Amino acid sequence: MVLALALACERGGSEQLPPSVRYPDHVSAGGSPPPAREVENPIASDSASASHGAQIYASMNCDGCHGAGATGWVGPSLVDGRWRYGGTDGAVFQSIFYGRPRGMPAYGGVMSPGAIWTVIVYIRAQPVPSVVPTQRWTGSETPPRP
Amino acid sequence: MPGKDYASTRYSGLNQITTANAARLRAAWSFSTGVLGGHEGQPLVVGNTMFVVTPFPNVLYAFDLTQEGYPLKWKYRPDVNPSAIGIACCDAINRGAVYAAGKVVYNLLDGHTVAVDARTGRELWKTQIGSLGQGETTPMAPFIVGNRVIVGPSGGEFGIHGWVKALDLATGRILWTAHNMGPDSQMIARPGTFTGGANLGVSTWSGDAWRRGGAPVWGWISYDPQLDLIYFGTGNPGPYNPEQRPGENKWTNSVLARRPGDGSLVWAYQFTPHDSWDYDSNAEMILVDLVVGGRMRRVLVHFDKNGFAYTIDRATGELLLAEPFAHVTWARRIDRTTGVPVVDSRKVTGASRGNIQGICPSLEGGKTPVAPGAYSPRTGWFYTATNNLCMSFDATTVTRIPGTPFIGASTPYVAGPGGHMGGFIAWDAARGRKVWEIKEKFPVWSGTVVTAGDVVFYGTLDGWFKAVDARNGRPLWKFKVGSGVVGAPITFRGPDGKQYVAVYAGIGGDWFLLAGDVRSDDPADVRPPSDFAPDLGRYTSQGGMVWIFGL
Repeated sequence: MVLALALACERGGSEQLPPSVRYPDHVSAGGSPPPAREVENPIASDSASASHGAQIYASMNCDGCHGAGATGWVGPSLVDGRWRYGGTDGAVFQSIFYGRPRGMPAYGGVMSPGAIWTVIVYIRAQPVPSVVPTQRWTGSETPPRP
Repeated sequence: MPGKDYASTRYSGLNQITTANAARLRAAWSFSTGVLGGHEGQPLVVGNTMFVVTPFPNVLYAFDLTQEGYPLKWKYRPDVNPSAIGIACCDAINRGAVYAAGKVVYNLLDGHTVAVDARTGRELWKTQIGSLGQGETTPMAPFIVGNRVIVGPSGGEFGIHGWVKALDLATGRILWTAHNMGPDSQMIARPGTFTGGANLGVSTWSGDAWRRGGAPVWGWISYDPQLDLIYFGTGNPGPYNPEQRPGENKWTNSVLARRPGDGSLVWAYQFTPHDSWDYDSNAEMILVDLVVGGRMRRVLVHFDKNGFAYTIDRATGELLLAEPFAHVTWARRIDRTTGVPVVDSRKVTGASRGNIQGICPSLEGGKTPVAPGAYSPRTGWFYTATNNLCMSFDATTVTRIPGTPFIGASTPYVAGPGGHMGGFIAWDAARGRKVWEIKEKFPVWSGTVVTAGDVVFYGTLDGWFKAVDARNGRPLWKFKVGSGVVGAPITFRGPDGKQYVAVYAGIGGDWFLLAGDVRSDDPADVRPPSDFAPDLGRYTSQGGMVWIFGL
């Protein structure tokens, strides 16, 4: 735990902060961001990073809102393939770094950019259920897991 | 007031609706609050006006009961900080308003108490009582004694340093703040007044763990005018992983008796020392006089999340009875002499102990404190909703980051013995035994009201509002209100002289319990059902309705 925290706070310096997320007051009129190159996650999408990201996810108390396995609790599921504020790596980074209305705290300054990118690797490594949109029941007492 | 009277009996002397005619109840009126989410708490009827507080954003409606269709007199829309939603552990709920001296007083989710002129809807004062940055939100219903408005915070899952405060009803000024743990000076525990021992709020903790030890006050408050004592329960210690807070952790999971005038602590009793299972004690304290063991006693009756129902001498804090009202595996019994549970050591949790199986009740409690029970002097029995859930508990070490969750446990549920997940019971607190029980498919999260017509009302998570016979639990009537019930019904006499019953419909309040598949309002948050209640979403989705029923 202590190790994970230390890594979360130290890994990656401010120079890793991508230009597109340096400013807290971006305006995307109509939900369309200005044309720009999509930010790429500098952390490799391998199992070691995902495992490290899982540690940071827990140590930063992300699970307290988004649930173990990121399946959602008071905060939304992060593994249903749906995104309120955009699902690209850059958009997810921005959500974590600056926070979002209605409850998502800003973790910029608490987590290093490298730690945020590593958590994103962990989230990406979780399987998205194949049948999410339809929940179906049959019979009188049928367990309906899709 | 929220619990009907100072004693929190939720008993009404109205008797037009009886066991003989309740089958003829019909919907008389309904209103959409415009808010989806857990509609906890209860409407408040004062004279010919009904007041309704919504979940966040905490709109206050005042309905004119003298006119057809009950049109609004006014509505008050406070400016509530939306970031509070992320600090509220268990949905953005509100547990209701209280009335005194021409003012309607209630809490906003973001750590403020407001007083509104009951006649005009004008805001009279607004006081900050909590800090979102420290993880404090304020959904509880305030309680008023004389000119004191008593309030407390939620935040047992955020590592707060729990407290109660008294505000001046006239101005909103904070008159005193009493913490639930810490040095005696912060606890307002004075030698001679409090006889429980010195600095227990520090010595029962390791190091300074008490500073982030939880003990929120999000439930209900009672008052005995003769003894001049208020009674309230405190919530869980933080974090859930007990290995991070060695000691008994006083006064988490406790009942505290304080003087409303200056806040001084008179006595305290801890239901679950060194809590290992998130057994908050925020459920109501119902004050009645009962013959216990051949003697008339002034008692306090409390149904704890830990599955035991307690009968306690409310003048002294002496434990008189503690018997299980739900299936319990974490303790064998409560030692009546010492007042301490005899814990099954195999059920103790901790980060070094792995995943502990078969703990009953689950952390939803043998009964949720959200659902206040009632007492009928006609039957001498208590009525309450119950849960029948067990859990496994996998604790992990966690670090406090202010304003973020401080929990450290994964706790999946399964249905308890019998397979049903909830019920509704009548309880004899003088003897410590269940009188009758109605089994329900899902956990029951509704409060209750019992009347002089011997009718008890409660609702279910699958959206039924029910009337049953107080003497034997016989079903009398039910109506599908459109969404699960987590609020508390009330009954009142309307301006036309007739008896009515009001209740909220709007499932929510705990996403541990609900998994999130009862939502339909967010295309970006679509979840499978919970493992233990996979078909709840078949019967209900979120809502926000006020219903009134009459004959």
